Amino acid sequence: MFKKILIANRGEIAVRIIRACREMGIQTVAVYSQADADALHTQLADEAICIGPANSADSYLNMERILSATTATKAEAIHPGFGFLSENSKFVEMCEKCKIAFIGPSAEIIHRMGNKSEARATMMDAGVPVVPGTKEPVYDPKEGKKIADEMGYPVIVKASSGGGGKGMRIVEKSEDFETNFLIAQRESINAFADDTMYIEKYIVSPRHVEFQILADKHGNVVHLGERDCSIQRNHQKVIEESPCSVISKELRQKMGEVAIRAAKAVGYESAGTIEFLLDKNGDFYFMEMNTRIQVEHPVTEMVTGLDLIQEQIRIAEGENLSVKQENIRVTGHAIECRINAENPSKNFRPCPGVIENIHLPGGKGVRIDTAIYNGYKIPSNYDSMILKLIVHDKDRFRAINKMQCALGELVIEGVDTNIDFQFDILGNNRFISGDINTHFIQDEYNL
Amino acid sequence: MSLKEMFKKTTYISIERNAVVSEMETVSTVLKKTMPTMKEEETPAVPEGMFVKCGNCAQTIYTEDLEKNNHVCPKCGYNLRLGARQRIEMIVDAGSFQEWNGDLATMNPLKFPKYEEKLKAQREKTGLQEAVVTGLAKIHNQSLALAVCDSRFLMGSMGEAVGEKIARMVEKATEDKLPVVIFACSGGARMQEGIVSLMQMAKTAAALKKHSEAGGLYVSVLTDPTTGGVTASFAMLGDIILAEPGALIGFAGPRVIEQTIGQKLPEGFQRSEFLLEKGLIDGIVKRGELKEVLSEIIHMHTNHPDKINTYKHYIEKNKAIRDIPLKSRQAMGAWEKVMTSRAANRLTSLDYIQAIFKDFIELHGDRAFRDDGSIVGGIATLGGMPVTVIGQQKGKNTKENILRNFGMPYPEGYRKALRLMKQAEKFHRPIICFVDTPGAFCGIEAEERGQGEAIARNLFEMSDLKVPILSIDIGEGGSGGALAMAVANEVWMLENATYSILSPEGFASILWKDSKRASQASEVMKITSQDLLDLHIIEKIIPEPQPASEDNLKDIAGYMKSYMKEFLAKYKDKSVLEITAERYDRFRDF
Repeated sequence: MFKKILIANRGEIAVRIIRACREMGIQTVAVYSQADADALHTQLADEAICIGPANSADSYLNMERILSATTATKAEAIHPGFGFLSENSKFVEMCEKCKIAFIGPSAEIIHRMGNKSEARATMMDAGVPVVPGTKEPVYDPKEGKKIADEMGYPVIVKASSGGGGKGMRIVEKSEDFETNFLIAQRESINAFADDTMYIEKYIVSPRHVEFQILADKHGNVVHLGERDCSIQRNHQKVIEESPCSVISKELRQKMGEVAIRAAKAVGYESAGTIEFLLDKNGDFYFMEMNTRIQVEHPVTEMVTGLDLIQEQIRIAEGENLSVKQENIRVTGHAIECRINAENPSKNFRPCPGVIENIHLPGGKGVRIDTAIYNGYKIPSNYDSMILKLIVHDKDRFRAINKMQCALGELVIEGVDTNIDFQFDILGNNRFISGDINTHFIQDEYNL
Repeated sequence: MSLKEMFKKTTYISIERNAVVSEMETVSTVLKKTMPTMKEEETPAVPEGMFVKCGNCAQTIYTEDLEKNNHVCPKCGYNLRLGARQRIEMIVDAGSFQEWNGDLATMNPLKFPKYEEKLKAQREKTGLQEAVVTGLAKIHNQSLALAVCDSRFLMGSMGEAVGEKIARMVEKATEDKLPVVIFACSGGARMQEGIVSLMQMAKTAAALKKHSEAGGLYVSVLTDPTTGGVTASFAMLGDIILAEPGALIGFAGPRVIEQTIGQKLPEGFQRSEFLLEKGLIDGIVKRGELKEVLSEIIHMHTNHPDKINTYKHYIEKNKAIRDIPLKSRQAMGAWEKVMTSRAANRLTSLDYIQAIFKDFIELHGDRAFRDDGSIVGGIATLGGMPVTVIGQQKGKNTKENILRNFGMPYPEGYRKALRLMKQAEKFHRPIICFVDTPGAFCGIEAEERGQGEAIARNLFEMSDLKVPILSIDIGEGGSGGALAMAVANEVWMLENATYSILSPEGFASILWKDSKRASQASEVMKITSQDLLDLHIIEKIIPEPQPASEDNLKDIAGYMKSYMKEFLAKYKDKSVLEITAERYDRFRDF
């Protein structure tokens, strides 16, 4: 059992973790950059240590300082949250060397799942369906074109180290292949110093459906159902819900079993997510595995009643999972809207600034995860997500109603936000009817 | 609103994870179940040495990253200082190092107070007996005598023990005909040993002179820092001097200079890059590539007796392609050839060098003033045989041309060329020169540094070099500037190259007071390859089916290579007397 945990993150997820620790009777240490001295996580934790200047590379990504802060405060474990060092295998290795418990999977698993071609190969070996595509990496556009021509268009060119849409291009026809391949490869070289590419069959109008899994150190693995994260803009999730409205009980069971098989194939430990593409015929393909807690984890918490952060901590302590698969019930429907400080009319340009006035909705089944407050100054150095609004009700329509009400009551003044844009999506007929896929925002809003 | 001190602190109830706290249990019984205190050894701690601080950028580096990166800072590229044993491990074949004179120690010649205690402490700290480790080693299975200084031991300073170990090692290498490699890393002479340290400079230099006279190779590798009496002795005496990036190299230390002259020194002063620019070292080699480069250099200085014989087959095979009659192509007028020889896209020396030779290692500098970009040179192999290659280098665009001074060498360029030729002579390597210059550079600085002397010196020395010399005019053969690299056993020209007493513009201006009549001048000056072959100024014309450019580099380089092999085969069996006499007669006849 841990007595003290250091949270190597900031913003709402740091606050979320601090709260979970407190409920478990665990003391907390916050780390903060010079820009975050007044941040909620800094003020809320039992102890707070400044780890450097505003620039993430010098603070929240500064491994040495975070390790020093951990040992200086005699914390026994680090919770990395998401982003920053959460999927950095080298950092996990360092934690191991310092005898600090890293709340997440081992360095080796993070490394293996972080490399897309290796993750894919592992999954294929485990009998997990993957999108048809190249098994071997491709470096040369001419060679790639040959493969794509055989596969049939559309295809998607992806960088092995890619993420967040970088190093990724969809190619509609043969003539466009080489140009697009080179652009994606160039992006990958610039962003990740890696020219390893691969090519996949492009699945038309799929849904992004991901399964939450939990695995302990003793080989127990459960899945907590799925999240539909099809509402995306530029490969960034905007709205997530659970369950997915088109998945039957049988399909859920099948996909869940595959997700568990995938987790077992790599000897997974901690909370993780298996992402799938689900096409119109109900065929699903493994995309990637996220080896961290995710932004959208609250929707799963709302429908299962579990606290995923607390589960992560328990697993890291070496405890058995608190639930068995047969005891997990998905009840009702939950939706999460990500509220960002950004201006949708100016191409969603991030809009840091001071929160001049804030009003939060409430009531049964309404949850807010945020780290902003009246007078808070949003620094320009970090992600623009400032608040997560989550609702839970008996079914999807009721949940949509509740979310509309909550969004209507949510007032944030001083900075531009995407609240109106979210409100608009909640009122969109296609959305209401559940006719969604990953191109929804692109198709409906031409974005 | 500020949140400072606004929140109430929680009183923690430690909860046993799997225990369901029943309503009957009191808080106090739950509290009894708190976790046992942690064992001491499990307390998280950052292990000693897991991170190191970069001496240059002061950033913290993960030691494992640093080791993977050859101890070069991943953040700023600084080459961190290495211990002697670490360096040896990095450079030589595993298990091949045999130490010489490992126990040799100083006798404290001045009976300097507290010196012996100091040495004792240094020995304990470093595990070394002295500031240099010498011995026999192998790099890719090639034997060499190796010395590596260690800056952790009294700043790598040279006292009698360091001097003695180096001198003995060099003497042994001379005797056993081994190449010598020394990694210098030192603050200079050792103060505690006073005048006796000073004598080590002369002693090591003398041993190296003997080694050199015996034809032995010495490669010096300068690492951070190399200063004082070490710089002023063995470190600067290499046949080839390499340096690691960013190393401080100088005689007087920067602080001493600043105090003496009362000025702040410029950024980068006395660093490897500065020395390269000033012509004082042959090249800068990244730490990760050092082993390979040293291996190449040693390989090129090993005898290759059988290579020439394998040429025959190649020559026969290529004869048919090469000897296409010239008349089958449309002849150009003289002026047209002048223009062609000056064309911006015309192939340069480096183009041919890369296309014809393998493993070209460029060597820089005149060791005195500056590295002249308008002359390039180095060692390469042709069909396995080492040769020295030197070329006048033009650029293909403005930026390159500024770097190359439009192919117009300064005196230091000619001096670099001569230095490399002398080196070739020492190691019995044939010399191949590419001539391509509008003329020696005409300017104040060139005169200040003795342009005329530099050219004259080359004619003087080249006439008597003990190895065969071949010069190929690939573009413009402008006057004395060209001749300073063309006192050769044979001179060849590309079909569209020119070779003249001065430019047609200059000729017209002197003779007719009208430089616009250059084209007319070119017709009467006899400057084309065909004219010069008829005048016996040159021995051979290399065909250019089309004017030389990227498109036909392979073809032209192929002809050249084939002719070159013929040349080398022809001179292989000639005695030094024959080689020098033939060259003497060649020019004596004009």
